[in-house]
Amino acid sequence: MNVRSLRRWAAVHKWTSLVCAVFLLLFCLTGLPLIFKHELRELLSQDPPYAALPADTPRASLDTIGAAARRRHPDHVPMFVFVDDDEPKVTVGMLPSPTALPTQTRLLKFDARTGELLKETEPAETSGPDFLDIMLRLHRDLFAGLPGELFLGAIGLVFAASVVSGVVLYAPFMRRLEFGTVRWRRGRRLRWLDLHNLMGIATMAWVLVVGVTGVLNELSRPLFLLYQRTDVQAMLAPHRGRPVPPLDRLSSVEAAYTLVQRELPGRTPTSVVFPNNRVGSPHHYLVWTKGSSPLTSRLFTPVLIDAERGELAMVVDLPWYLRAIQVSRPLHFGDYGGLPLKVIWFVLDLITIVVLASGLYLWLSRRRSPIEAQLAELEGVADEA
Amino acid sequence: MRPSVIWRWPLLMAVLTVVGLVSALLGEGGVWWGLSWAALAIPLVVMAACVVRR
Repeated sequence: MNVRSLRRWAAVHKWTSLVCAVFLLLFCLTGLPLIFKHELRELLSQDPPYAALPADTPRASLDTIGAAARRRHPDHVPMFVFVDDDEPKVTVGMLPSPTALPTQTRLLKFDARTGELLKETEPAETSGPDFLDIMLRLHRDLFAGLPGELFLGAIGLVFAASVVSGVVLYAPFMRRLEFGTVRWRRGRRLRWLDLHNLMGIATMAWVLVVGVTGVLNELSRPLFLLYQRTDVQAMLAPHRGRPVPPLDRLSSVEAAYTLVQRELPGRTPTSVVFPNNRVGSPHHYLVWTKGSSPLTSRLFTPVLIDAERGELAMVVDLPWYLRAIQVSRPLHFGDYGGLPLKVIWFVLDLITIVVLASGLYLWLSRRRSPIEAQLAELEGVADEA
Repeated sequence: MRPSVIWRWPLLMAVLTVVGLVSALLGEGGVWWGLSWAALAIPLVVMAACVVRR
């Protein structure tokens, strides 16, 4: 590499790293607890335990559970039923009126087998976010919604440029050094330079994958909303404005759920949204399904069931860009390979913090001399060593 | 040092990382998870070995 391009890459590495340093530290620190989100939620949960029943106990009918929810809140309307696939849990979301805001959703958690009410969560407006919610919001959008997501997505791209330029600079710095050399006794600066290079290059693939899938994640919500507002609305247009059938005219939720299970093997239904005139169809149950393999486990596709006749009306296929983004999501979270994979994610996250901190140290302790002089000096030291 | 020598270890570790990330994603449980953990752990072990050997 000639001196001019070396200088250029060094400038790219310096400025991209400085721009994203604070945010990268935020990503790393808030990401640490989020890796174990599921375990922490379980640990911190004060909900009553599930009934101790054999693993093959069948699930209670969603109609029975729905009726129990309505008996408890006769003045509310059910909005959705969510069926968990790794806990015996069914959650019913209810609103004070069909046009109430989603923030007023009241959540009723049931034991899926006994149909017994375990816990009731007040609308989000009255109960504040917990620790993990705060970590997630800081990690995802800095409490700033869509602008925050787009901003952090852009920061993610700057970070990717910082990693790529760091990888490019690796070769000239290692020209005279064996792989993995750490010069412990040549002063603090060289020691940290070597550690920065070693840890940075050993984790480059992971860091790039997590960084890029993080950017895709930031784009997924806005793109999904856009898709819902355009394509989905176009599909629902023929039904728009039709009155929502009264609850007692609706066909069975349980039948809608099992119909999807039966007709679409390879897809697991996760939730059923009741007919409504805002987010769904006024005339259909909207059943969200996800794929049943790790690759497709975050690939959510909607299925419409005629809510009066209980017939399969439409399987909606997502556009390719949303499928691509959803399939890449597990690669960001690291939650697809058991606890050991999460521990590896945790260690790699910690190493990224060390790379970040050592990079900042190298910049703060920099010499006021051109890069080629620094390189020559470093190599001179290497020759002596 | 020739580029092939400089890049030998970094590329090996990058390939192992990709194998580790993909194997748990495409394969279900069991052997594939084990392969994933091992492949992802090797770069960490190499790094630790370089740091410990002073």
